[in-house]
Amino acid sequence: MTDTMISAQKLIKTFPIKKHHAGALGALRGLVDRTPDEQFTAVDNISFEIERGEMVGYIGPNGAGKSTTIKMLTGILVPSSGEATVAGITPWENRKQLARQIGVVFGQRTQLWWDLALIDSLDLLRHMYQVPEKRFRENLDHARELLDLDDFLRTPVRQLSLGQRMRGDLAAALLHDPPILYLDEPTIGLDIVAKARMREFLSALNRDRQVTILLTTHDLADIEHLCKRIIVIDHGQVMYDGGLDALRGRFGGKRHITVDFEQEPDDAIMTLHNGQISVVERTGPRVRIAFDRTAITAPELLARAGRYGSVRDMSIEEPQIEEVIRQMYEGARV
Amino acid sequence: MLRNELAVTLRIMGIRWRGQMAYRASFWMQVVSNFIINTAEVLALFAMFYRFDDLGGWTLAEVAFLHGISMITFSIADTIVVGLNAVPNQIRMGEFDRVLIRPMSSWLQSVVSEVSLRHLGQFSQGLIVFIYAVSNLSIEWSLAKVGVVAMMVIVGFALFSALFTVEAILSFWTVNGVEAVNAFTYGGSTLARFPLHVLERWMRFLFLWMVPVGFVSYYPTLYVLGKEDPLGNPAWFMFLGPLFVLLFCLLIAWGWGQAIRRYRSTGS
Amino acid sequence: MRIYLELARLAFQQQFAYRAAALAGLFTNSIFGALLASVYVGLYSSQADGASVGGFTVAQTVTYVWIGQSLIAPVYLWGWWEIIQSIRTGAVVTDMLRPTNYFTYWLSRDAGRAAAHTLLRLIPTLLVGALLFDLVYPDSPARGLGFIASLPLAVLVSFCFRFMTNLWGFWILDHRGIAGFSMVAIGVLSGHLLPISWYPDPIRDAINLLPFRAIVMTPVEIWLGQVSIAEGLALQVFWSVVMIAAAQALQSVAERKVVVQGG
Repeated sequence: MTDTMISAQKLIKTFPIKKHHAGALGALRGLVDRTPDEQFTAVDNISFEIERGEMVGYIGPNGAGKSTTIKMLTGILVPSSGEATVAGITPWENRKQLARQIGVVFGQRTQLWWDLALIDSLDLLRHMYQVPEKRFRENLDHARELLDLDDFLRTPVRQLSLGQRMRGDLAAALLHDPPILYLDEPTIGLDIVAKARMREFLSALNRDRQVTILLTTHDLADIEHLCKRIIVIDHGQVMYDGGLDALRGRFGGKRHITVDFEQEPDDAIMTLHNGQISVVERTGPRVRIAFDRTAITAPELLARAGRYGSVRDMSIEEPQIEEVIRQMYEGARV
Repeated sequence: MLRNELAVTLRIMGIRWRGQMAYRASFWMQVVSNFIINTAEVLALFAMFYRFDDLGGWTLAEVAFLHGISMITFSIADTIVVGLNAVPNQIRMGEFDRVLIRPMSSWLQSVVSEVSLRHLGQFSQGLIVFIYAVSNLSIEWSLAKVGVVAMMVIVGFALFSALFTVEAILSFWTVNGVEAVNAFTYGGSTLARFPLHVLERWMRFLFLWMVPVGFVSYYPTLYVLGKEDPLGNPAWFMFLGPLFVLLFCLLIAWGWGQAIRRYRSTGS
Repeated sequence: MRIYLELARLAFQQQFAYRAAALAGLFTNSIFGALLASVYVGLYSSQADGASVGGFTVAQTVTYVWIGQSLIAPVYLWGWWEIIQSIRTGAVVTDMLRPTNYFTYWLSRDAGRAAAHTLLRLIPTLLVGALLFDLVYPDSPARGLGFIASLPLAVLVSFCFRFMTNLWGFWILDHRGIAGFSMVAIGVLSGHLLPISWYPDPIRDAINLLPFRAIVMTPVEIWLGQVSIAEGLALQVFWSVVMIAAAQALQSVAERKVVVQGG
């Protein structure tokens, strides 16, 4: 028996591009100009279904349409066409009713009241969402423990660090026990420790309370730690909807390693070039090499490169999401 | 549902008020400053009557009555719905989305996004002027008249709140030239301080039948002061105030809905 | 010298980008102009025909109202806090370190703005007033020119006042106290709120000793023929010199503070 919490069906959202008229004469022309505005399609026929208890990563480069999709699924934006059902409700038709079923954390904007203490914000939300006193206490204590809120519970939100504010926002979003949680870039700007902690919290939430989570992010590491299923979107369309491992295997093969030698390495280093390895850049003692991780491991490659000079330092870059998607395009073309 | 939303609204306002009053020195300075700003018009009133005998048959005390009511109503509206002024900025900074995520009326949320207690300065000044007026007039008070005064305040508050909302509504479409609404809020409040019959005909038309400011205070005041209307309109005109303001508020409520609809269609 | 002209030119052009705001301002000025003019006409209705109160007939008072409204924008009567804002953002430090005189820097920008506002606000407001009411006009071309000459002087005195009130931001943390007080003060003392001659005699005499009447009252008097052109302009020149000196003095004190305390 399926228990679909989020269902998007052929969602399309187009925005008119405002024509810019310069100067006084241009402004007059703009008034009488009746030609239709150009349309920009932010979301182009997106469909997917998410079951209860799933934690899905929604990824894509900037401008891919991630935020626009989320806005439609939270009732902020009305689609140009298409349908959606979230917890059995059409988001844009029953905004207030839906609000009680969802929790939202925008990475870059807080849901909390800027000039109030965190505890006051939470208390206000309790009243707004009509959470019974007992349940509120339970959820608050739970959040205080897991998110370590006690240190800054009484601090005005505007004085909180980014990490603290995110934790506060998470607590706030879950106060009313929503079955669905939307997270829009939740780890952006956080340091490594804070990111790890947030990921732990979300994992536990999904596992222990069966909260359905839709997480948009730029950060592939978030995805790797949290999501079994990811939806890749680009230019408003779904490029891929499936397991993470499969995606990695198909497209995420290439990594980059940057090796700093003591001195300029021997020219023979260019012989490293083969089907799975390519020397991408060479500037003095620094060499950047792209390699297929399924064909050779980083330590192996490092050992081989070391034959051409004395290695001083090295760094490994994870494939960026843009890179993965670019490769997807190339793969699609093939 | 609505009852809960109103309860939450009052709760938020309470928190904000307490927050503002916590900064004692700053709070009092702002109140005093606001009081001082509003003395200008009161000074002008007294200075005018120093040189002139009356204003279209109205004495100083009678005009002061209008001044008092206008200042009281406007300052209450300015204190309570001042949050609407923040809407244009919120839209610009992308902070309006969070309003739509919550299970509460977007208008109420906007109203409580700020409170401004400094307008207590204008309120207290209005009260002083009103008391001065009443103590210098021989009004035959009755329960009905007290009721009419209360009605003036409530209706005036509703009208000015609606006018403040107009500015917020317009900002959903453009940021240019929205200040023109000031002509109706501040202009309207200034106009309400003077007896309507001295105004040019087109001004009367504008501020009676288009933006019903004139109906809020002039006709009810005629009744309270026991004066005849030089324009010859019947006494029941004073009940047009609540009626027209109600219609006006409904119109503005519809406008707000349209503004939200547009925001949810175009994203900003 | 070139740099100051350039600053003025830029400030002048900048105003033309805010066309909608100018229109909104014109609308507001017109409503207030019509409102106040009507009230004054009402006040005069209890007087004999052609009566003069404080040296103003009813037609002159109506004209005074419209000149007052048209002056609000060019003279920036209320609400200019750009220097205080620059203190808040810290931009004041870079402003003061520029190779230009701080006072002249701001004056040039204000001059450009005022010129734009004369075109965008003053003239249209007077036109609206002329359409709606019977105004009194200068009785000779010389007087008209005299009025035009009085405008930059009015802006100059106003600018000095605004400059000095803003500089107080170096010493006082919260400027809102000054803001309220200065708004009332300038409205009353410039003659914008009421003709100065309407106040009770002692008050009137005191106000006439102050520089601020040069901002609104003197231009009005020149237009209406209540003062000789030479006398009016001389008064404005006198106060301009005094205010500029005061502003420069206050500026050096402020500059020293910035240097010593590093802003």
